[in-house]
This record gives sequence, structure tokens and C-alpha cells, in this order.
Amino acid sequence: MQAIEAFLSGRIWIRQFIPFPQELVQQAIDQGNAIVVSGISADGQCARCLETSPDYVIPYTCATCRTICRYCRTCIKMGRISSCTELVVWRTPPTVNAGLRAFGWAGDLTPLQNSASKAISKSIREREDHLLYAVCGAGKTEILFSPIHEALQKGLRICIAAPRTDVILELSPRFKQAFPDATIHTLYGDSPEQSGYGEIILATTHQLYRFQEAFDLLFVDEADAFPYSLDPSLERGVKKAGKPSAPIIYISATPSKTLQKRITVHSTIFKRYHGAPLPVPVYRAMWNYERQIRKGNLPLPLKRWIEDKLQKQQPFLLFFPSIQLIDQVYPLLHKIDSRIESVHSKDPQRKEKVMKLREGMLAGLATSTILERGITIPHLQVAVIGSDHRVFDRAALIQIAGRVGRSAKDPTGDVVFFHNGINRQMDAARQEILFYNKEGRV
Amino acid sequence: MNCCLCDQALRFVPSWRGIFLYEAPELLCQHCRNEFSKITEQGCKFCGKEGEAICRDCHYWEEHGYRELIHSGKSLYRYNDAMKDWFHQYKFLKDVLLAQVFAKDMREALVNERAVVVPIPLNNEKLRERSFSQVDELLLAAGIPYRHLLEKYGETLGEKTRQERMATKRLFRLNGEKVPKQLVLVDDLYTTGTTMRQAAKTLQEAGAESIRILTLIRA
Ligand SMILES: [Zn+2]
Ligand SMILES: [Zn+2]
Repeated sequence: MQAIEAFLSGRIWIRQFIPFPQELVQQAIDQGNAIVVSGISADGQCARCLETSPDYVIPYTCATCRTICRYCRTCIKMGRISSCTELVVWRTPPTVNAGLRAFGWAGDLTPLQNSASKAISKSIREREDHLLYAVCGAGKTEILFSPIHEALQKGLRICIAAPRTDVILELSPRFKQAFPDATIHTLYGDSPEQSGYGEIILATTHQLYRFQEAFDLLFVDEADAFPYSLDPSLERGVKKAGKPSAPIIYISATPSKTLQKRITVHSTIFKRYHGAPLPVPVYRAMWNYERQIRKGNLPLPLKRWIEDKLQKQQPFLLFFPSIQLIDQVYPLLHKIDSRIESVHSKDPQRKEKVMKLREGMLAGLATSTILERGITIPHLQVAVIGSDHRVFDRAALIQIAGRVGRSAKDPTGDVVFFHNGINRQMDAARQEILFYNKEGRV
Repeated sequence: MNCCLCDQALRFVPSWRGIFLYEAPELLCQHCRNEFSKITEQGCKFCGKEGEAICRDCHYWEEHGYRELIHSGKSLYRYNDAMKDWFHQYKFLKDVLLAQVFAKDMREALVNERAVVVPIPLNNEKLRERSFSQVDELLLAAGIPYRHLLEKYGETLGEKTRQERMATKRLFRLNGEKVPKQLVLVDDLYTTGTTMRQAAKTLQEAGAESIRILTLIRA
């Protein structure tokens, strides 16, 4: 396969940013391997992210083409696309390379994991969508390895999408180890250019905008928000990236009712891989916590809880509903122990701080909801401050609780919801966890 | 509608002003709006920078051959993190819609202006590449009439060091329009003041007598 074909296959790319000489691009177009499409169609749809809303596809007077152009705000962070932007789409399908492939994973699956794995393989063979509904700590990634290996040997092109970069970065080395002879690309916001034809693409959901009918098989991790999430364009992105017949395997610990209804084939795992039940959240009232913190007082129940964890030398996460509140509480926490730090989504030292917590160099972290997923620290304890706040919905609270007790050596730990009044989301989260534990016992 | 910076749903509160007087709809949520920081105190008489009556940058120009070339001027906002984000998204991600975020401020600053409003232009190559002139769009969004008098030569300041910027020879030429006696030069961002001094010099040589300046942001 030529380098330009390997790069462009299944992709939709802004012509001037294709990392090959323009003569080669022109040649591919002349030979009919690639076509050029307008960035925004005549009826106002973005060709890359399929946005159509006039709130996001904005007309303006364009000095490049000297007419009224429209540009798309939805996918603008990936390089703006307007009506006069030329996008190149590769048309010639790649040749299928079936055959034996190396498999570098040799772990054991629990019986539950094993049957989910078999069921997913079957769905892929029968080209049907599938929902893997598995609790936090069920060992989801291992379940996927065998179905992916099977698909790889059939020459299928595979995508694993997740909403967050952290998750993609965590998956990448595990996949490279499991599939040592496969070309694996890891794509996220500022990811480096990767050469060759990616057989397995690990990508943030946003990166899927840059693919078109590329994949024979897609896995959507953390698909809680599907369908009809806050950002419906992400769902369109997944659909567009796959070939029309490609099965989509949705993976979630907290799938929406709509998704559960829409996808008829399910595998469920309500038991963690180590077999111990999920820690159940405990409610603790903490009235007017916001005002107390604003006035410079750490609420007493929280103070006691932190002191207890410090004394037992257990690492902890404190989830706060807003960055403002984190900024206000930080000096108060720091006063108790200088090894308590804070992180938020824009913190460039986020990864280092989590690493330090894992290694015991930090005692605890105050965080916004960004750390709710994809973090595993032995002996971790968590507290949610203001669990009745609207940012903590049922799914977020379940994910937060799911950070605790993940290792087989210490499958227990505190999950405390400090609240200003119990609400439905808190109750729904707690009920769901109790339900998993009941089902998991069978 | 969602906030055009953070994409949270906007809570629409109709106001009497909005109903009876023409007022552009608010594009930002209250939180994003509050992140911007207006320059309120009296600062440098030329550029509005807070602190001394003449800031370090403007002092340099006054001492190096540009004395009293600019009569007076001001800037509306500080270049804080929120403004840096806005500027990046507007100018470099080319999100033209964001011109409207400061439409009201620009309008208030210029609506009673008697002198001719003159935007700082881009060079033609840059204009074609960016697809819009960021200063023109700010004025258009504000509904302020303007007249171009200048054309920019091919190089941009962005890649230069501070010394190189201040030593730059010629940035502008006249576009052939008649130059009025009184005018206000408008730019998006005041960094060292090179652009404004250069533009003012070219216009003064062509007959402008009173030149004031307005920038949205003082770095
Ligand atoms: Zn788009
Ligand atoms: Zn000044």
C-alpha cells in the first residue's frame, strides 16, 4: 500500500493539511482514488461532523472566496471547515489482509467475562450491535481482546472510541502488548502523526469525525450518554466512521435506559473480576457546606473524614462540584496536610498529581468530576462534597463510587456522599449499586 | 441557544432593553462573561494600560521619534486567560461569530465618535488565508461605520522579538483614499504599540492632524 493511501484510507481530511505533496494528492484525485467534497454542503451540513443546526453552521462574508460562506463551529477545534474548504475522501477500498496474527495476551477470564467475550464474538460474526453492560472493575478491556483478535485475523479494520484522552492513553500500551504485530494508531487532540495503515484505531470520540466509512467494527467505551447525549454530534461521528454494515459494541457501566432498549443483544456483568461486592455509598449530611467553605471553615464532618484517612494512611479523592469551590477549599485542605493537592480539567500537571497519589507522595486530591473515570489506585477512599449538586448525576456518582475497591487485595473502602439534602440522582446511584451487588451474588 | 464559549445552555432572561430597544442577544453565559476583565482605572494616556500615566511601551515611542504622534487613546479589556482563549478562538481558529461577544463594548466606545474610524488592516495574503479581517468584523458586529485608509505590507509582527518589532521600518502604505484631519485608529490587541505608531506615522505624513487610538485588548 502506498503511504498516501495508507494515510487517507477511510479518512476525510482538509486538502491543504494532508501531509503529502499536493501533486500526489492531485494524482490520486485524477486517478479516481480520491474525491474532493465541499466542507459545508449546499444545504448547510458540515461534511466532517455532519452538523446541520444553524446555531452551529454560521454564515459570514468570506474573504477567501468572496461570497457568503458558512463555517462549522461544532468541529472548529480540529481546524475550521467552511463552504470553500476542500475535503478529500479516499474512495478505493483497501485490500483485505486476512490471516494468522500474533496474540500477546495470555491472562485468564472469569466465567462471566468469558461468556461476555464469547457473546461479543458472536455478535461481531452476525454483524449485530451489542451492549456490554459491566460494572466498574469488571475487567472490560480483557473481555474485548479475544473478539478483537478474531476480527483482526479476518482482516477487519477496528476502532475503539472513548470520550476521554486519559482512557485512550491508558488503553494504548495494553493493546500494543495484546496485538504485537498489528498497526495500532492512538488518536486524540494533540496526538503525534502515526504512519502506515492503522488496523486498530484507538481514538477519542471527537477524532472519529475525521473518518468516513472506515471501520468494519467499532467499540464505543463509556457509552453512557448514548444515545441522545448532550453532544449528539458524537453519535453521528461514530455512525459515520463505520461502514454501513459495521456492528457497534457499546460498553458502559451505566447505560441509559434508551440504549438498553435500543440495543437488543446484551451481556451483563454485575460482579467485579475479584468477586467482591461494589462499595455502597453512605450518605452524610453537611448543611451549608458551600457557605462554610467560602467563609474559610472546613465543614466538621469532612474534616473528621479526612483526618481519619490521613491517620490510616489511605489515599483519598475529594470530588467537588465546581472549580471555584476547589480553589476556595484548597488552602483549608493544605492547612490540614500539605500533601493534599488539587486538580481540575485544565491543570497541566493532572497526570503527575494522580501518579504521586498512587505512589503515596500525595495524601489526597481535591478534584472536579474529571477523575471520575479511568483511575485505579489501591486502597483509595472517596468522598463527594455536595453530591446533590446537578453536576453529579446518577452515572457520575456510580463512576465515582467505582473508583473504590478495585484491587483484589483490598476490595473495600469508603464512598461517602456529603450532601445538602438527598436527591433522586443520589438515590438512583445507590439503588443501582445495591442492585448490582444483589445480581452479582447469584 | 448555547453559550458560544462553553456551550452550556443559555438561560434567556428577556430584559426591557431587549424588548423595546434594539440590543444584540447575549451570546455568553453569565459565568463566561464574568471571566473577562474590563480596564476601569485611568492608566496610560495613549494605550490605557493600568499603572503610570505613560506606560513603558508608550514612553519608549515618545522618546524615539514618535512624540505626540498619537493624541490619546484607550483599551477596553485586560489580556487575561479568558481573553487569551477568546482571542485564540476568534483569530486563529477563525470563529468569526465571536466578534459579536464585544459588540456592545465596541459600540459604546465608538457610537458617539465624530472622527473617522479607521481599522488596522491585514495584508492581502493574510486576509485571504484567514478569510476575514478581525478588526473589521468587530466594528461590523458593533454596527460602527468605518473607512479603510491603509494597506499593509507583506510581513507580520507575530514572529518577531520585541526589539525586532520596535525597529521595524515600514508596515503600512496609503490606499489612495483621502485622509481626513481627525481619526480614530482601531485594532484588536495592543502589545508594544508598534502597529499603531506605524499606522499613525503614515497617516500623519498624509495630513492627519489628530489621531486617537482604540484597542479592544491591552496585553
Ligand atoms: Zn463540523
Ligand atoms: Zn501606553
